[in-house]
Amino acid sequence: MTLEAFFFYAFTTLALGGATLAITRRSAVHAAISLMVSLLGVAGLYLLLNAEFLFVSQIILYIGGILLLFLFVIMLVNLDAGRGLRQFHQRWPLGAAVTAIAGVAFAILWSRAKLPPSQTMPDVGNVELVADTLLQDYLVPFEVVSLLLLVAVVGSVLLARKRA
Amino acid sequence: MTHLLPPEFFTATVPLNAYLILSAILFAIGACGFMFRKNIITIYMCIELMLNAVNLSFVTFSYQFGKVDGQIYSFFVMVVAAAEAAVGLAIILTIFRNRGTLQIDEIDTLKN
Amino acid sequence: MLEGYLPLFVFLVLCIAFPLAALLVGKALRPSVFAPAKLESYECGIEAVGGARGRYSVRFYLVAILFVIFDVETVFLFPWAVRYKQLGWFGVAEALVFLGILVVGYVWAYKKGALEWV
Repeated sequence: MTLEAFFFYAFTTLALGGATLAITRRSAVHAAISLMVSLLGVAGLYLLLNAEFLFVSQIILYIGGILLLFLFVIMLVNLDAGRGLRQFHQRWPLGAAVTAIAGVAFAILWSRAKLPPSQTMPDVGNVELVADTLLQDYLVPFEVVSLLLLVAVVGSVLLARKRA
Repeated sequence: MTHLLPPEFFTATVPLNAYLILSAILFAIGACGFMFRKNIITIYMCIELMLNAVNLSFVTFSYQFGKVDGQIYSFFVMVVAAAEAAVGLAIILTIFRNRGTLQIDEIDTLKN
Repeated sequence: MLEGYLPLFVFLVLCIAFPLAALLVGKALRPSVFAPAKLESYECGIEAVGGARGRYSVRFYLVAILFVIFDVETVFLFPWAVRYKQLGWFGVAEALVFLGILVVGYVWAYKKGALEWV
């Protein structure tokens, strides 16, 4: 097995195992930690696909930011009160079957797809490429994102401190 | 050890299709959880899982085409997910404060 | 291409192996005496009140939200910092507009008292 294949299967195991645990654990904290494992696996796959910048931002933004928020909210709402409640829908086998069929169908579709030979990236380093494209070709989205973040600050602060 | 396995086993590289298949399966797992979880927070986590699966196929296509645009898209998806998580979780907190529950089928004011 | 990550990998393996080894060696060497006081959470000698799973104050969440938003901002500035020289004044102007809009949010949150610990 080549080194690349070995790491691909290792990261795939992390991603799939974490995702499966994340949707089947009863406790919300356990689900969040499993989701973290899954996101780490996907981050490793980004590394295999030469997307170093996304690897770092996956860890900083997703694992260090978004999942942290999730854990905060899980701790803010009362965990113990919800412990005895039903965590899964009564008709969960139906949903699982439907999505399993869809997933297998897509997997077969992709395994049959003939992708043209891949092109190579310009040889200047991933972060430099991202920087040039982001700051020149995607200039307007870059600035609009700051507006989005402004709206997110205002909205979430207003919602979260309504008690007073 | 070497004679137990076919020689291709040691030289095979991973085709890009494998990444796309993984992305499809991850998306299916996320959608599955979205359907059968009852707690709003865990449902929300399943949405993040689906976003992540889509990001993976964006990055795969970016690698395939030798262009960095796909990576930029998934970067924007991450940023939007962060903004969405901040506001969405604040909404979840407000719901919890007003209703005292996070079970998805007890929050049905619009239905009645 | 993966060979470049070898130092990182060695670092990771060491990071996992060292605490495992320390825990295992410690377990093999130390005498094991059970006492209920050992299971309590450490609170500087004060007796612990309530469980660790109690509800937190919403103020923590406000700080966490602001952290995440400005975390995103930092990640956005990172590629600009890498290409600072090549982008020149154009890049500086872009980053200033980006930061300016977010500073409005920061000032608003500050005025609103979201950062005060009342």
